[in-house]
Amino acid sequence: MQVVQETAKLYKKLTWTWNPPSNKEAGDAIVKNLLLHWFPNKITQGSLSWGYSMWLGTISFVLFLILCGTGLVLMFLYVPSVERAYSSVKDIEYVISFGWLLRSMHRISAHLMVATVFLHMIRVFLTGAYKNGGSIGSNRPLNWIIGLVLLITTLLLSFTGYLLPWDQLAYWAITVGTNIASSAPLVGESIRSFLLGGSTIDQSALIRFYVLHVFFLPVMVLFLFAYHMWRVRKDGGLAAADREALTQKPEIVAPVKAKTYSLLGITNGSTVHVQNTMIDEERSSVASSPNLLRRILLVSLLTFIAVAVLAIVFRAPLEAPANPTETPNPAKAPWYFLWLQEIVTVSTIKIGSFTVNGALVGGILLPGFLMALAVWWPYRDRTGLNTVGVWFAPERKKQNMIFTAICVLIIVFTIIGTFLRGPYWNFYWPWEAWPAMPVKF
Amino acid sequence: MSLQKLFQKSRGQGNESRRLFLEKIGFVGMVAGLAGFAYQSVRSLIPNVLYEPAARFKVGLPDRIADGMTFLEDKRLYVFKEGKSFYAISGVCTHLGCTVKYAKLNKLKKVEVGGQQKEIDFEFHCPCHGSKFYGDGTNYAGPAPTPLHWYKLELAPDDGQLVVNMNEEVEQNFRLTV
Repeated sequence: MQVVQETAKLYKKLTWTWNPPSNKEAGDAIVKNLLLHWFPNKITQGSLSWGYSMWLGTISFVLFLILCGTGLVLMFLYVPSVERAYSSVKDIEYVISFGWLLRSMHRISAHLMVATVFLHMIRVFLTGAYKNGGSIGSNRPLNWIIGLVLLITTLLLSFTGYLLPWDQLAYWAITVGTNIASSAPLVGESIRSFLLGGSTIDQSALIRFYVLHVFFLPVMVLFLFAYHMWRVRKDGGLAAADREALTQKPEIVAPVKAKTYSLLGITNGSTVHVQNTMIDEERSSVASSPNLLRRILLVSLLTFIAVAVLAIVFRAPLEAPANPTETPNPAKAPWYFLWLQEIVTVSTIKIGSFTVNGALVGGILLPGFLMALAVWWPYRDRTGLNTVGVWFAPERKKQNMIFTAICVLIIVFTIIGTFLRGPYWNFYWPWEAWPAMPVKF
Repeated sequence: MSLQKLFQKSRGQGNESRRLFLEKIGFVGMVAGLAGFAYQSVRSLIPNVLYEPAARFKVGLPDRIADGMTFLEDKRLYVFKEGKSFYAISGVCTHLGCTVKYAKLNKLKKVEVGGQQKEIDFEFHCPCHGSKFYGDGTNYAGPAPTPLHWYKLELAPDDGQLVVNMNEEVEQNFRLTV
């Protein structure tokens, strides 16, 4: 009996913060629970809505946690050596209990994370959420830049991850990727040999990409993510909250009863309290615990279910072992790099007798230009406060259209690269059969 | 110098310049130490010795090499024998480094390279981004910016084997006649 009581007490002690019985406890919960302390005390209902943020940032982070969890187990099973990497991945896939599920979940989460981080960026742009609202000390453009760095880090994590199995995909991806780096003028060759730890793709390259993948980049994501979230609080919450404060009509309230010693006070007809207004935060905001907590848990659960189901339906493929002598035909990067592969194919420029390699134009200059444009954009965007935190603000119509056009182009190139390119990177419609290619000539 | 003012403000009277000096030395020492640590960390990742296959290697006695094309898989190198003359063309695409594939043509193709008429009966095609090269390595389609590399061939003075020297590039008219 005693034990049951004590257990119940302990359970309550650990869990009361999840579901506080009153507003006072709701406030305490945020302060007293380590995991909740980065929430605001109260949150506006606009910030909680499904339609505004679509919770894409939360989904991205949940996917990152799934990646950390599955990745941790995979680290015990994978051997980062060129002789054994492929067979250890093969073991994970075919011999180890549930190894296939871990690997499949890891891969699906990575794919989804690239997608959700990209969609999160699109959401932030189209809602004007990189713009400062009314609050003091707000620096949303900086947080937008942090977000861009997180997007690049996500892509680098994917890139370093899919070459670890040391299969054909891995080998040729690292070949193309490091050659893009080496096409940079002056420093290119040194960057390539620093990445590879030599001039050929071998053990030193594998261990470098392994360490980047399992330690350096994830830690970088954690730090950047922590700063990203801290900034969201510093910037006054989601842009939707600013929107609420800006659009709310000032409400006239009864004068506060207080002693006044003004001379006007003794004249007839009016007092110093001519009009008193207030912005009613109480009306539109709710306690973070349990309201925000409940939604975050729901989003996490749904994300986890989606990953588990997709991981069972789409098993992670493993290509033939890395073979430097035989480039697969066609050799395709994963879908999120296919737009770049498509661009490096068409972007070799000839100026007279002088030729610029497509790798430099499409692989470095164009992505670099797009990134610079994205960094610069919030500082150029001088539309009014009424465009902050609202989908498709009419005043931002033109820039929304330009941004959407760029995103659509990237998606179109991705689709062309994924579905419409066959052997020798020739164009084929989906209903056209690819010519039979001899495995060996 | 706001930092200096800050230091002065936080100190009492007397010995100010000496304290400031020591603080500066400490600060500079810390930065120098961290910079040194950063340098040695990065420098240790740049290898001093590469245990990589030699770029100059023997491929066998000239008589033993088959007429026509021989592909050295692990070197990604095409070696050609035409009667008594030899030449070698790299199989590494000049665009992004994929291995180009040898494509035999059904009939002779007349092409013009650098003002010269040539007849070719094979080409190289790259599977990654669709670059195409004539049999002599000249790029004519796709994103490849330059022709495939030609490497120097020698005869080993000790045993007369054919030696490929991948450190030295040669012109397209290079032939080693034995």
